[in-house]
Formats: sequence, structure tokens, C-alpha cells
Amino acid sequence: MALGGITFKHEKVGCAMLAGGNAHPYAPGTKPELLPVWDKNLCVRCALCYIYCPHAAINRLDDGFFGVNQNFCTGCGICHRECWFGAVSMQEVD
Amino acid sequence: MDKYSLYAAQFLGFKEHFLPKGHHACQGCGVALAVRHVYKALDRYNVAIENANWQIPWSPHLPLDTTSHPNTTTPSLLTILKKGKDEQISAPLMICFDNETSKNGADTTNLLKRIPAIAAAAGYTYAATACPSHPFDLIEKVRTGWERHGAAYIHILCPCPVAWGFEPQYAVRIGRMAVETRIFPLYEIAGGYYRITCEDEYPRPVKEYIKAQKRFAAWSAKKIESFEQDVKAAYDMLIGQCRTSSSQ
Ligand code: SF4
Ligand code: SF4
Repeated sequence: MALGGITFKHEKVGCAMLAGGNAHPYAPGTKPELLPVWDKNLCVRCALCYIYCPHAAINRLDDGFFGVNQNFCTGCGICHRECWFGAVSMQEVD
Repeated sequence: MDKYSLYAAQFLGFKEHFLPKGHHACQGCGVALAVRHVYKALDRYNVAIENANWQIPWSPHLPLDTTSHPNTTTPSLLTILKKGKDEQISAPLMICFDNETSKNGADTTNLLKRIPAIAAAAGYTYAATACPSHPFDLIEKVRTGWERHGAAYIHILCPCPVAWGFEPQYAVRIGRMAVETRIFPLYEIAGGYYRITCEDEYPRPVKEYIKAQKRFAAWSAKKIESFEQDVKAAYDMLIGQCRTSSSQ
């Protein structure tokens, strides 16, 4: 499709990235260096960390707080940055 | 107090369509985030996005290996055909995930941001810009694009930590900065009416955005200044269009 002289590339939905180019040597599924850890005393359950996670790695626990799915988390730290209350910290997990 | 507190993000639901099993998105990927928000927005309409298993339209065009991917000037585009409730005529909802990794990078910035205007002139009934740093705005626009009759186009700016050169944890902040510095104003054109959907009386200095990214490292002070003026002129033009379109 061309619009105003700019052409677009139609991507087949579901196709994977053809070449590597990960920002960090941790693809989803491998173990990241740092994992987010929630402090339940500070968290107000606003779900901002949840909505900003690009990898959908944050899931809601039964008590309304949030936890991380270690298989999906890339350790990017967005949840840590975006929490208004500083409830998420990135910690080394072995 | 906690029992009665309500937060907007909780109303979006916690159902996840986009599971990262098959994709190789980097840390802090803006495209992955935007795709996730788009799927969240379309959740309520039972859209069968082509034959997708709710996976990601991927743009493998990082400037790092331009030799193997010569088509680096093409932002990736997701097209979904809307089927009217009664009529058979279907119109597309087009969503462009623009991570500005095209060859000229920031030089085409101003052109790319004008695409919604071009789309509106080309007969799209709804055209808008969005950024995953403002998820509710993005979701609202995708839903509006879906619900309105006629073709719709949404241009999403997706911060890319690799190509732009910043720490992955700042991905959302950089997007927010692009909006707050008015480099990427959020607006919509609905049936010819312009409306700015996220307005700050006092914008952030453009320099902050430039300084935060390595891709602008080579920019001289003079270039930054002229870019600043471009941004201001573009925004003034946008405000002018808002005024004239609403007074007609
Ligand atoms: S953003 Fe912070 S306060 Fe909000 S739910 Fe997440 S951890 Fe809790
Ligand atoms: S570190 Fe990144 S990928 Fe991991 S849970 Fe937080 S936002 Fe999601």
C-alpha cells in the first residue's frame, strides 16, 4: 500500500522475526539477570505494571496483587520504572 | 480504603491473547507492547485477525543489518477487515507500527507524523496517532477505528531500544517524552474534524528527547534548534487545523 508517497510492508500476522537482534542476550524463555519483585506493602494494585509489560509476563494473583511469569519475563525493567509507588524492584534471582 | 479503590487499568480485563511463546521481541520492545494493547482493545469484538493465533505482526527491519534486509524504509502494517453488521461491504482498519527504524530515521519523522492527515485526505473516515505510553488513549482510538463506518488508519509510534539507543527500561518513558515534547502529538481526525487528544499546556523541551537517545548523538546544536522549530511549526499547524475544522 502506498499513502502519500510512503510504502508500507504488509506483515503476515504470526510471522516471527527473521534475524536475531535482541537487545540483550536474553530472549523470552531464557532466564534474565534481574527479575521484578513486588513489595506488597507499597503496591496499591493499580495494574499499571501489568498494562505496560510488553511481554505479558505479569499476571494477577488471586489476592489482587501481581506476580511475574519467569518464563516470559525478559528483565527489561519497565514495570520497575513505571510503578508510581516504587513497589517493583529488580532483583537478582538465582 | 483499598477495598473501594478503582483503577482504570483494571477495567481492561486480565485476559491475555498475546502470549510471547513464538516471538523474539527484545527487552522493552515498543512494538510488542503496542500489539498487546491493540489486541486488548479488540478483545470485545471477537475479531478474527486474519488467520492469526493472536500473534505479533513483526517488523524484522532493524538498521543493524541493512544488508540482509534492504527494505528498511517500511514500517509494518497490520490490516484487519471490518465487516459491517448489516452490510456486506467491508472496510479496513489499518494499524501502522512505526518504530522509526527506516533508513532516514528521524529525518522522515515529520513526514511520518503527517500520514494521518494524508490518510484523512485520501478518504479514510478515521485517522489517528497513538503511542503505547498512553495505553488508554491507544485502546480508545483502536476501538473508535473499529466501530466507525469506513476505513480507519492508526499510526502508532513504538519506541525501539535497540535502534534508538536507550536502556530498555525507559521504553515507555521515551514514548511519553515524544508526546510531551510535542514531537509526536496525539490527535485524531474523525470525519474531517481534528482533535488533539493529549494536550499539555507546557511542553517538555525537545532537547530532553534528543539527549536521551543515542541515535541523535551526531546531531549538532544547530540541527537540534532547527528541529525544535520544525516541531513547533508542525504543532502550530495542527492546532490551526483543529480550529478551522471545528469552526466550519
Ligand atoms: S504499578 Fe506498582 S502499585 Fe500499581 S499494581 Fe503494579 S506494583 Fe502495584
Ligand atoms: S521486567 Fe519487563 S518483561 Fe519482566 S515483568 Fe517487568 S515489564 Fe514485563
